Amino acid sequence: MEPALRAGDWIVVSSISRPPRVGEIVLARDPRDPQNLMLKRVAAVADGACTLLGDRPEESTDSRTFGPVPLANVVARALFRYGPIGRIGWLW
Amino acid sequence: MFLTRVLKPTVTASAHCDLPCGVYDPEQARIEAESCYKIIEKYNASNDEQFKTRAIVIKEERAELAKHHIDVLWSDYFKPEHVQKNPEITELCWKAAKQCSKVKGSLDLAEAKTLLDMIDKIADVWTKAGGPQATRVAKAAAARA
Repeated sequence: MEPALRAGDWIVVSSISRPPRVGEIVLARDPRDPQNLMLKRVAAVADGACTLLGDRPEESTDSRTFGPVPLANVVARALFRYGPIGRIGWLW
Repeated sequence: MFLTRVLKPTVTASAHCDLPCGVYDPEQARIEAESCYKIIEKYNASNDEQFKTRAIVIKEERAELAKHHIDVLWSDYFKPEHVQKNPEITELCWKAAKQCSKVKGSLDLAEAKTLLDMIDKIADVWTKAGGPQATRVAKAAAARA
């Protein structure tokens, strides 16, 4: 997800009451392994599922590998990065 | 520092998963299963105890590798849409993985043949799902001839 997110970033997420929108970064459970939480960008939403893609397609494991992610797997939306200090800012 | 400890997130999410090469082919499992088949043949034809011991060790290793490759196909290659179109794939992979364990502990050629047939059935689904075009790098025309 670089450059939007980097390893070690501290993120505030908010649980979502509406379906995610295209372009938002969401926190979702990996459909292959629900224990694994991942942050990906929403590329499309249709039929109760969304296509999640990493910002760097050549290095990302995303919906191209694990298929559309059911909306039930989408836990939250990324709102704000509060650390490291130099990178503090909104994520939408 | 106290503040850092309080602010530090407690849940970790990955934004950068593994790096799959995207190459999947049941042939990889088949070659290991063929090794098991041939090793059992050679085992049965031999009177050399040392050779027979080595044959068993290597067969067990190959059976484990076949199981690994089947597992990778099942967990990484086949997607929900493949399962929707070919619901038998889950059972095929599951049974083939179990058959690998059987071959691992057996010197019965028929068990090794059963495993080959099972892998071929998985390969049929892989081919139907467009696996050859989707996952393999095309060979040069000269190499195919």
